Amino acid sequence: MTLIINNLKKTFDKHKAVDGISLTINKGEMFGMLGANGAGKTTSFRMILGLLDPTEGDVRWKGERITYKRTKLVGYLPEERGLFPKLTVKDQLVYLMKLKGMNKQAIIKEMRFWLDRFGVPEYENKVIEELSKGNQQKIQFIAAVLHKPELLILDEPFSGLDPVNADMLKNAVKDLQERGTTIVFSSHQMSNVEELCEDLIMLKKGKAVLQGNLRTIKRSYDMKNISIKADYDLAFLEDVKGVLKIEPKKDGADVKVENEKAAETIFSRLASKGFVRKFEVEEPSLHDIFIDKAGGSGT
Amino acid sequence: MNNFWTTFTHTAGRRLKSKTFIITTSIMALFIISLINLNTILETFSGDGAEDMPAVAVVDQTSEEGQFAEMLESLAAEGSFEYIYYRGDVEEALSDAEENEFTYVLELTGTLDALQAEFYGEGTDFRTGQEVQQDVQRTKETLATSALDLNEQELALIFNPVSFNEKPLSGTGEVRTAETHMQTYWMVYGLVFVIYLIVVTLGTMIATEVATEKSSRVMELIVSSVNPVTQMLGKIMGIGLAGLVNLSVLVLAAFAGSYLSGEDFIRNIFTEVIDYSLIIYALLFIILGYFVYGGVAAMLGALVSRAEEVNQAIQPLIFLAMIAFFVSLYGLNAPDAIFIRVLSYVPFFTPQLLFLRIGMGTVPVWEIAVISALLIISAVLINVIAARIYKGGVLMYGKFSFKKGIKQALKLSKKES
Repeated sequence: MTLIINNLKKTFDKHKAVDGISLTINKGEMFGMLGANGAGKTTSFRMILGLLDPTEGDVRWKGERITYKRTKLVGYLPEERGLFPKLTVKDQLVYLMKLKGMNKQAIIKEMRFWLDRFGVPEYENKVIEELSKGNQQKIQFIAAVLHKPELLILDEPFSGLDPVNADMLKNAVKDLQERGTTIVFSSHQMSNVEELCEDLIMLKKGKAVLQGNLRTIKRSYDMKNISIKADYDLAFLEDVKGVLKIEPKKDGADVKVENEKAAETIFSRLASKGFVRKFEVEEPSLHDIFIDKAGGSGT
Repeated sequence: MNNFWTTFTHTAGRRLKSKTFIITTSIMALFIISLINLNTILETFSGDGAEDMPAVAVVDQTSEEGQFAEMLESLAAEGSFEYIYYRGDVEEALSDAEENEFTYVLELTGTLDALQAEFYGEGTDFRTGQEVQQDVQRTKETLATSALDLNEQELALIFNPVSFNEKPLSGTGEVRTAETHMQTYWMVYGLVFVIYLIVVTLGTMIATEVATEKSSRVMELIVSSVNPVTQMLGKIMGIGLAGLVNLSVLVLAAFAGSYLSGEDFIRNIFTEVIDYSLIIYALLFIILGYFVYGGVAAMLGALVSRAEEVNQAIQPLIFLAMIAFFVSLYGLNAPDAIFIRVLSYVPFFTPQLLFLRIGMGTVPVWEIAVISALLIISAVLINVIAARIYKGGVLMYGKFSFKKGIKQALKLSKKES
């Protein structure tokens, strides 16, 4: 029941969009795919869905490739949102879901359930282009999940949403996972990934720079953040071996260090210097890891 | 197959239910009905036709002492003019005409063997003068024959028409009389134009629809559920059905119009003049031509990113259709020219040119079969190639360029494993 990606590669002309990624996603898992813009997330998704043929490697879901025979079991929210601007929400969903093999009555029943859940039952007969961006995105999300897919692929599902709507969608995603849906989603909003995912892969220029369980990654990641509060100037810590960055604060500083050893050195240096109000070693946030590994902006 | 039907019914349904479609089709149907009934409508507006026969004042100054004018007066019942014997001179008649007592003035001078007629009048209808001339000629002939005192037999000798029949050289051949030639000419002309219109309008429609789905980015969602090739065919057939419905409504309107008109002459066009075997050929070529052009149109639509670029992308296709149309216009007068024969083998020209050759000339059955088979094969081939480019094209965004676009699309759709 797993999705297995094996040494997946895609080359456009000479540009390597995806360069040998391998991963296994178990049934019911929520998997995060991270990467800066152009890291190869969308291309990977398209290959998983069978929209693009891989240059090398393959994608197997339940032991087979995803072909048009099985797309009924797959839901997809593309990064570039798009619906028929001139069709009503109902006509739109009826058409798109008929393509997934549902009959009209079932579609309308499910559609009403989701519109109610998102608090917009009055949109049923509205034309898409009359809706706001955020509300269009809700409809787009419904179009990805209405047919109860077993595998759900969400490309940047929360981008462009206000916090209230983002939470609404996040809860829906969590519910789907509890029902047993396997979910793969991409994001460059690290907070979402930290909140939702157990496992992840981080891509840079088509290659995996980091991969595995989120907690294990964080724990095993050598880089640490130290939060220090002291009454004297901490600038002298710059000379300590292993210090990557010092961010001065009002009553102290945040120091980024290469590993725990450097933290120990700083601790002893501080102890000899004077009184410290606070000294706390924290595991790096995914944001820090992202910037460190993917080298892009991780907002 | 299921998804084909879903796409097909969705595409056709959306068009058939759209207000634009219903309104334009109704307007076109009404236009056709009124065009056929133009005469009746004009007559209704201009009042009773019989009372409005224009009056012609006849000033008879011939040596025959008014015989001409009297004879013309007696013609009134059969002709389209009311001749009135005016006993005065031309100047008086002209001034009376200016006061609207008469519409025209006809002055006759000379003798029976050297009759001169001056016709005064204003207006745009060139046939008026001809008809009056005929009436005067007839009057002169009648007077002349009675002056010669000819009997019935002698009269018949002069006036009985020649029986003229045209026959083919061989027993099975056909001969084209001027009348049937003109009938076929106009029919072929009309249908060639219909083929052109259908190919151009529906082709544009297909390309626009594909490009719109691409530019609204709904395409990626659709092709994640349905094979692009299935989708493309569903779309081509769906729009084709809408076009066929449109065409049928217009044909029905033409029939309805002809029955409403109640004029034998128009009914005759439908029952006798129109060659229904030609219509069947036309339908066949419209459908095949639609697939040839439609496949290319879908492909071109898939190559652009925005609906605004469709016109630019589809131009070459429209040029092809236009060339085919203009070549056919030439071919109407020379259906057996070598280059028409050669060009009729080219799939993009076949629908119009082969149809023209069948209509206007004599094409052996084997040639019709061969060219039609070629057309069918190329329609299939074109759609297979178009489908491949379509598959890659629908996921491709960026500035439109033919060569690069096709190359890139083929690459994207390539089976690599």
